[in-house]
Amino acid sequence: MSSRWANSAADAAADAARKKEKEEKKRARLEKQRLLEARQQQRQGHGDYDEAHDGRQPPAKRRRLSDATDGGSAGAPRKLLRFAAPGWAPCRSVDGFEKLNDIEEGSYGWVSRAREAATGEVVALKKLKMGSEAGGGAAEGFPVTALREIQALKEARHRHVVELREVVVGSSLNDVFLVMEFLEHDLRTLQEDMAEPFMPSEIKTLLLQLASAVEFLHDHWILHRDLKTSNILMNNRGVIKLADFGMARYTSSPPPPNLTQLVVTLWYRAPELLLGATTYDASIDMWSVGCIFGELLTREPLLQGKNEVSQLSAIFGLSGVPTETSWPTFRRLPHARALRLPARPAHPRPPDARALVRARFPALSAAGAALLAALLSLDPAARPSAADVRAHPYFREDPRPKSEAMFPTFPSKAGQEKRRRRETPEAPRRGAGAGLGGLGGLGGNGAVDFSGIFGGGAGREDGGKGWGLKMV
Amino acid sequence: MAANSLASSAQLASSASQLDGVPHHLETSLVFAGSALAQAAGVLLRLPQEIIAQAIVIFARVWVGSEGASLKEHSAKHVSAACLYLAAKLSAHSRLPRAVLNVYAFLDALPPTSLFDDAAALDDPGPKAYYLTEGDYHARRSLMMKLEAIVLRILGFNTHVALPYTLCINYLQAVEAFAQPQGSAVAKRAFAHLNSSLMNPQRLYLTHQPHSLATAAIYLAAREVGLKLPGDEWWEVFDTDREELGFLVVAMISMGGFVEQEKRRWEKSRPPLTVDQLDRELERLGAMDDGE
Repeated sequence: MSSRWANSAADAAADAARKKEKEEKKRARLEKQRLLEARQQQRQGHGDYDEAHDGRQPPAKRRRLSDATDGGSAGAPRKLLRFAAPGWAPCRSVDGFEKLNDIEEGSYGWVSRAREAATGEVVALKKLKMGSEAGGGAAEGFPVTALREIQALKEARHRHVVELREVVVGSSLNDVFLVMEFLEHDLRTLQEDMAEPFMPSEIKTLLLQLASAVEFLHDHWILHRDLKTSNILMNNRGVIKLADFGMARYTSSPPPPNLTQLVVTLWYRAPELLLGATTYDASIDMWSVGCIFGELLTREPLLQGKNEVSQLSAIFGLSGVPTETSWPTFRRLPHARALRLPARPAHPRPPDARALVRARFPALSAAGAALLAALLSLDPAARPSAADVRAHPYFREDPRPKSEAMFPTFPSKAGQEKRRRRETPEAPRRGAGAGLGGLGGLGGNGAVDFSGIFGGGAGREDGGKGWGLKMV
Repeated sequence: MAANSLASSAQLASSASQLDGVPHHLETSLVFAGSALAQAAGVLLRLPQEIIAQAIVIFARVWVGSEGASLKEHSAKHVSAACLYLAAKLSAHSRLPRAVLNVYAFLDALPPTSLFDDAAALDDPGPKAYYLTEGDYHARRSLMMKLEAIVLRILGFNTHVALPYTLCINYLQAVEAFAQPQGSAVAKRAFAHLNSSLMNPQRLYLTHQPHSLATAAIYLAAREVGLKLPGDEWWEVFDTDREELGFLVVAMISMGGFVEQEKRRWEKSRPPLTVDQLDRELERLGAMDDGE
């Protein structure tokens, strides 16, 4: 067995010494083996575990700590991997925190700013919403979404993911709070108050940070499923962190079947979700990244639909109507049948996504437009991964990404005053009705007509305003 | 994450149950019985073994340490149900509260020895024996939800459990076990050791990382089946040293004797898996001590 571990463990310098040790170890092992066998025979003879076991010293319960040295009898100091084992302890009480002010109410809880009495540190305290008995929420016990959020946050330790410090509890079993690091801003509120949009160099830095966080999550098989600017927190040192993992879940390759399509806030929801896909992968997060990119450029959410249908038409207005070439698999999606698309495009060559994106963002460089158009590809398979985004030429051309230290600071709304309730729609609730079917039901047979989008050739110049939807 | 949270030495040194006057041997016995109950219920609920294993590890974590749960306060049987429900909920195979409670009621209706036999192979006691009335169901469900919240608090929401099964297969592939004819027999034996170690009185899953458990199970299984493994210290490749390997192998070997002992102990009576039954058992034990 002169196999790979022998080679991998071999250390050329200590080879000779090791050989000798090996002989010793071999002897020790044989002895141990004999001992084990002898004990086994003894037990078989007696048929009694206790006697055989108590005959000698009971084995000490031993656990090697991460910093313990290798004190084995044969003592070859080979480096073995030791995991730091964190252990667990009961939740501490929320009484150790003093509430300063409310920040916001999200779909999964109330967030407030608080100070830890013992250390004086300012943290964000998120009180989880427990399902009410009447709403049927208590029927499932502790909300699974909250459990998933806690599990995902515990595992996703990354510079650009908000840090979950601990979970604390109140006196009632329903009082559970997440203690998280406090960040001064979220990108949505911040942009609402900014006089000017972020500069191109700043946008690049923010996008790179976002992409690194998303790449980390996807590498750890976590789908965030609710990426949007209000879930991206930012401190006064130019660092953004992803927050709100209430929609997150673990995935696999191939992706698990029967995922809910009711995820991601409407304006950031990928077209395949709107069309009822129940098997999807990391590319839905990449669509949201594209929407966030567009939003950073203009300070305005990129695609603001009022409902699923108008969201879809906004998407088709920006990325083009799906064709066999631009999205080969879309006809197989559950709601695709309800769509009525132009049989033959009115234009001899329908405008492709990149041209549409360039028309909408004239200030964006060619590389930037290519990246945005790629992120907003209708076909999920055509969207770049987070790692692709980070390697994109857009970030290497001038202006270069701005150093975080050079970011301007802003007055913090979260730190000083109660925020305005935003008018952005919220992430969909679990159990709510899904899909176009319900909407289409208004029209009788459930078909939604998109044939007008590029129909007259006049629609495009109007930037998507010149056409309406018809329910057939 | 491939690593687990482990119990600290302070947590292993004492437990809330012992502080409440439950003798150590009885505590060990009841934690074992509660784990066996979760295993049987998990099989009846058709849950994958990984989820059952996670439930049993969570169940084991609940009882250690002075800040853990006390058997005098929470019934082992109901905590076992709550852990199984919680582990299933966290996975892609969630089960309805009603299904979990029905299965536990069914197991309750079986004779005491069912803990050590294949529950599915026993005679059906008839639906009357395990029928849950609507009132009972609501009471038990709210108890299960309450215990779920308590379990989460005791664990500090540390519900992540890493398991050794896939590592075990990877390691067997790495030592090219499947190239030999006994390969799959070894894998089966190793999995059996990993499964029974879940209920080991030495709480192996609370004191050792999955990679060491997998290595020890392979070592033992290979010796039992007679599979030849590389002559070098192959376990070091899997980051397990001799000392740890030896300890785990001995502990795994001891499991058979422990189960025999438990089987004899609960031959005639049911293990006191609820607080009331435990109180009566403690009275009985006290009376026996006085009588002697």
